[in-house]
Amino acid sequence: MKIRGVLIEDTFAEAFTMRVARLIITGRSVRWAREATLKLTGFATSVIGCKCEAAIERELAEDETPDGRPGFSVLLMTMSKDDLPKRLIERVGQTVLTCPTTACFDGLPDAPDRVGVGSALRFFGDGFQASKVIGGERFWRVPVMEGEFLVQEKFGMVKGVGGGNFLMLARSADAALEAAEAAVEAMSGRAGVILPFPGGVVRSGSKVGSRRIKSMIASTNDAFCPTLRAITETELPDGVNSVLEIVINGTDAEAIAAAMRAGIDAACRQGVVAITAGNYGGKLGPHHFHLRKIMAGAEA
Amino acid sequence: MSGGLVARLRKPLQSRVDLGEVLAGSWAGLGAAEVASRPALLGGSAVPLGELFEVKGKPAGRLRFEGDLAMADRIGAGLGEGEVVVDGNVGDATGIGMSGGVIDVHGNAGARTGGAADDARRGMTGGELMVRGSTGPEPGSRMRRGLLVVTGDVAEHAGPGMIAGTVLVFGSAGRAPGRWSKRGSIVALGRVEIPPTYRYACTYQPDHIRLTLLRLRTRYGIMVDDRYISGLYRRYSGDLADLGRGEILAWTAE
Repeated sequence: MKIRGVLIEDTFAEAFTMRVARLIITGRSVRWAREATLKLTGFATSVIGCKCEAAIERELAEDETPDGRPGFSVLLMTMSKDDLPKRLIERVGQTVLTCPTTACFDGLPDAPDRVGVGSALRFFGDGFQASKVIGGERFWRVPVMEGEFLVQEKFGMVKGVGGGNFLMLARSADAALEAAEAAVEAMSGRAGVILPFPGGVVRSGSKVGSRRIKSMIASTNDAFCPTLRAITETELPDGVNSVLEIVINGTDAEAIAAAMRAGIDAACRQGVVAITAGNYGGKLGPHHFHLRKIMAGAEA
Repeated sequence: MSGGLVARLRKPLQSRVDLGEVLAGSWAGLGAAEVASRPALLGGSAVPLGELFEVKGKPAGRLRFEGDLAMADRIGAGLGEGEVVVDGNVGDATGIGMSGGVIDVHGNAGARTGGAADDARRGMTGGELMVRGSTGPEPGSRMRRGLLVVTGDVAEHAGPGMIAGTVLVFGSAGRAPGRWSKRGSIVALGRVEIPPTYRYACTYQPDHIRLTLLRLRTRYGIMVDDRYISGLYRRYSGDLADLGRGEILAWTAE
């Protein structure tokens, strides 16, 4: 299969079941909502080193947020359901509670599984905190020097999918970056999808384990490193000098597949040789995103 | 409110009637005949509700009262579920001790609206009570949880002995609000006399008020001016003659 001359390899992305929370972070202005959101989603690229994966899902208009202020929706994901409340409490407590004017709300109100967030953060109020039940949901008012921090008591938790991916194999680093930027542009702002790496793009794709250090969980994906072409079992076609990856997490497989389709389509441009995907032979992750199935109908 | 039951007053009430037993316990799944058979107290005697009201419709967790019920007391007393709408005025003690559900009065209400029974330690423990008009004295007395909204004025003594919960008044909050309040919130969008046992804390924008007011707009269609949603509130802590963890939040145009 080729799209605008770019080979779509006959392979699949292998993804995992994760636990997801959606946070709605609002502020007096877009600036302050963004400040809190960027802090909250910082250092959250991979569960391997960050314990969670998080990113902005989309910016929200005033009429889309619970308190009528500008905001952002964020997806935060962990591998286990026990980890999710821990990460939420840490991050909301350190990055939203601390940020001027902001408030934090649950973005999955229909999820039956609920984890306590405000119910833990309230203790920062040292006994001066107060709660309000509004529309059947409890919110905590935590007194802070600025005024009050409002946070919802419980947040919904659902099963999601983490690790959808595709790799852009390009003739040059510039071409790879242009393709990645185009793909991210096409995939951003979609409901139910986040791209947790910097700017949505990964340059350091990894393989499981290490050739030399047994304790390492992951190490560089040498088969796709252009500089190692001559000394390793390379998987790079001739003419490929740079590879970038996009990792896609989401609330469900359909949302990820739709985002991958848009992203791959945008990445098929001049200077890109092939699109491929990372997997582990299909034995580790239950979700398989076959590139050619996803791109069926887009062939040209 | 579409669907549900409708109870239409057969003829104007000539004496006070107590409807406190009509919606006590589980009722949302009851049909018209079953609701009509529930007792109302008229002159100290129990009569089936159906003698006073023509009850029609199908159960959908909703009941609409039609007619002037200014002589009807204790509507929705102890309500725990469903939605009750009253097209007109109601008597005293509407929604006393309610624990859930919604009462939406499109008219004025009497004394002790959303309050507590004389022998009860707690008033409302949940639910939402809207009065699209004014109330008599002592609305929200001994409220433990829940929301009471008065779009008009309160005669006097709003939220006496509140344990928690919120009483929100669009008009005048009347004399001596929040007496003996422990943790309750009285939100005054109009005129309010701050009792001497309350102490000024600060002027700020409480986010939970914004949330509550937006809910009144979207859930109940109540007209809420933007100046209240994005405005400043003077916070007074009290009642310092009691626990002192309550508050009066008085909207200010400053």
